[in-house]
Amino acid sequence: MLTAILCVLALGYVITRVAIGYPDPRRHYRRLGRGEVALISSAAEAMYPAGGPIPASGLDADLPDYIERLMTASGLQTRMLLHLLFFLVEHGTLVFPTSGRGGMRRFSAQDIEHRVAALDGWAESTLFTRRLVFTSLRAVLTMGYFAHPPVVRRLGLAPLAIEAPICEADLLYPRIGEKPESIRWTAEDLTPPSAGIPLPQDGTLHPGFAEAES
Amino acid sequence: MSSVEAGQVRVYAQYDADLTLETDVVVVGSGPTGSVVAKELTDAGKSVVLVEEGPPFVPDEYEFDGGLSMARTMREGGLRTTSGTIMPTMQAIALGGGSLVNSAICTRAPAFVLDRWCGDFELERTTRADLDPHYEAVAKFLGIAVTPENVLGRRNLLFREGCDALGFHSEPIYRNVRGCRGSGECFTGCRSRAKQSMDISYIPAALRGGARLLTSVRIERVLSEGWRATGVAGRVVKPFTGNPSHHVRIHAKLVVLAAGCTATPVLLQKSGNLANRSGQVGENLQFHPGVAIMGIFPDLVNPRFGATQGYQSRHFLREGFKLETLWAPPAITAVRLPGSGMALKNRLSDIPYSAIWDGIASCNRSLGRVRVRRRSMDPILSWKLHPADVPVLAQALWVLAQIFFAAGARTIVPGVHGIAPELHSLEEAEVLRDRPIRATDLVLAGNHVFCTTRMHGDARLGVVDEMGRCHDFENLYIADTGIFPQCPAVNPMWTAMALAHRSAQQIAQQI
Ligand SMILES: Cc1cc2nc3c(=O)[nH]c(=O)nc-3n(C[C@H](O)[C@H](O)[C@H](O)COP(=O)(O)OP(=O)(O)OC[C@H]3O[C@@H](n4cnc5c(N)ncnc54)[C@H](O)[C@@H]3O)c2cc1C
Ligand code: SF4
Repeated sequence: MLTAILCVLALGYVITRVAIGYPDPRRHYRRLGRGEVALISSAAEAMYPAGGPIPASGLDADLPDYIERLMTASGLQTRMLLHLLFFLVEHGTLVFPTSGRGGMRRFSAQDIEHRVAALDGWAESTLFTRRLVFTSLRAVLTMGYFAHPPVVRRLGLAPLAIEAPICEADLLYPRIGEKPESIRWTAEDLTPPSAGIPLPQDGTLHPGFAEAES
Repeated sequence: MSSVEAGQVRVYAQYDADLTLETDVVVVGSGPTGSVVAKELTDAGKSVVLVEEGPPFVPDEYEFDGGLSMARTMREGGLRTTSGTIMPTMQAIALGGGSLVNSAICTRAPAFVLDRWCGDFELERTTRADLDPHYEAVAKFLGIAVTPENVLGRRNLLFREGCDALGFHSEPIYRNVRGCRGSGECFTGCRSRAKQSMDISYIPAALRGGARLLTSVRIERVLSEGWRATGVAGRVVKPFTGNPSHHVRIHAKLVVLAAGCTATPVLLQKSGNLANRSGQVGENLQFHPGVAIMGIFPDLVNPRFGATQGYQSRHFLREGFKLETLWAPPAITAVRLPGSGMALKNRLSDIPYSAIWDGIASCNRSLGRVRVRRRSMDPILSWKLHPADVPVLAQALWVLAQIFFAAGARTIVPGVHGIAPELHSLEEAEVLRDRPIRATDLVLAGNHVFCTTRMHGDARLGVVDEMGRCHDFENLYIADTGIFPQCPAVNPMWTAMALAHRSAQQIAQQI
């Protein structure tokens, strides 16, 4: 009897640690569970803290929103891999805890110092697979961080506005999902091909990256 | 200008019923090889249907963001990797195949490599002299030319400076580009329409010649009767999700598979292990695994500007590697940087002062295979970096480190596990030369893929002959890079197109 009670208590403890108690996300996500949103935000904060040479933080970059968009654009297999990645990072700290009080909690429940220590632990692990998990997480978060216009603008890496010449191919293919009738160009609209003039380095930024947009 | 008729191009939104077509030749895959075959055969007066699983992309739809761009243009969202030695490898799913996302580097296979192919694989007509007329024909059509000085940008020119200082031969790269503006965006699509990717070059020409193009159609089976191919069958698939709908069947006098080195073997295996009396279909998988170093310079490099990959060195080809400059969307560049937290942010702020250069290695000993996945056309790729090839990659890293410091870099980021994340002098970098490096210490990538349906003069040892014709089927050809008998030591596209050009000439005579 006592064993059964202890088992139930242990199970309850594990469930609380692993699966419940996540905060309500700010908005509804179709592709991400609330635990994943919490994990992504807390990892973003640890990976890209506020301040320093690029003022925007991982939290400012709204990485859950980016990852939701990335998942929507991805096939099932990629989505499964991303879910697996988030699961491994969130619960990896229960298997590889960081030292000190609170180091044995799931990732998103840890304080920032423990989260940074946990990330460093994964990055420098002698186990290739653990390093791979870290590299994959950093890749996804970094892509989201760089999708935040103030970040690329700050680094002088925002794309410039380029007016694409209208070529024969533009008369042949509609936008994805649309019918050929939607093609808005005719032979009269064709423009001369690129003359190879180097892009001006102080050129206008692409509208999606201009100051007002962000 | 365009004499293409309504209905010649079909896109996803137009399919509303099952479809059956008849043609002389059906070409599966619209990458560099399939497009050349389609255009050359229409020029020869044959009726051609070109089938592509991906959609056409127009500039409005290019994504600047590396992650989103890969999710849309690459198979498995750009997350495809090999097992065995884990290495990411990208294959495009788009009209134009790899040419939509590649850097347009055009380099002829060196004569010594082609001589080795001929000697080791019993080929009689595949020397450099044999292929030169075909290289020329492709170059003329695409305007392959050397990258002009005014769009090289500092990150390419620094490579030249470093090589010059060390006495290593280097040169600006020949590319299939007309009017490059140096935007460094080849990977996400050329908004200047300067890169002559197949969707804006060979495919419109094939259409003008009368070819029909079916996009968003995934071929799932080659149809055959006895030892003759009779056509292909597949499904219309929704862009990005791959969800299948209407059935498509194309009856043809001759079938050309140009679905890419990782897809063609799957197609053959799913068609009842077709053309595989040799047992070589899906075997011998080879890559040019690549490693890269980022170097930080004391003053601004402004890496956003410059031809994506504008400079190269073939100095070390005989030692097994080739060196190039490299640029990718900022996010993908940043992914290389080590660490997390404020240390990572500090490193990111160095990107405007940085350049990335890579080395790709001819790893003929490192072999793998393509296997079929159940209920999917995606392959399972297993591949192992041979221990003897690891020092070749380590040597490439050491040479790159020397070039960086000779060009004035203050720091390099080698990205090798077990070695300091930043090295600040050539003396510190000697660790790359002196410390034994294991395969798992390296951050590898391999986007050049070969040999899974290799050519061989002996029908027992190869899938196709040197013209690309299957040994087992006289009217089934393979044109993609799977037919290379070994990796070519340099970027493969131009060689693959030259071989496809040659195959097309034979096919035109055959039917
Ligand atoms: C990021 C990147 C950069 C590169 N840079 C260079 C470079 O600068 N220079 C160079 O020489 N090489 C480069 N390469 C390699 C080069 O692009 C490839 O070697 C080349 O595209 C191979 O051409 P292919 O015709 O054999 O196959 P692919 O280009 O892969 O084309 C195959 C096509 O077939 C389609 N397909 C596959 N299966 C099916 C099916 N079942 N039904 C219908 N369609 C199907 C695919 O969607 C694809 O469009 C690069 C590759 C990548 C990924
Ligand atoms: S560098 Fe820019 S302009 Fe030049 S070919 Fe590539 S994408 Fe086009």
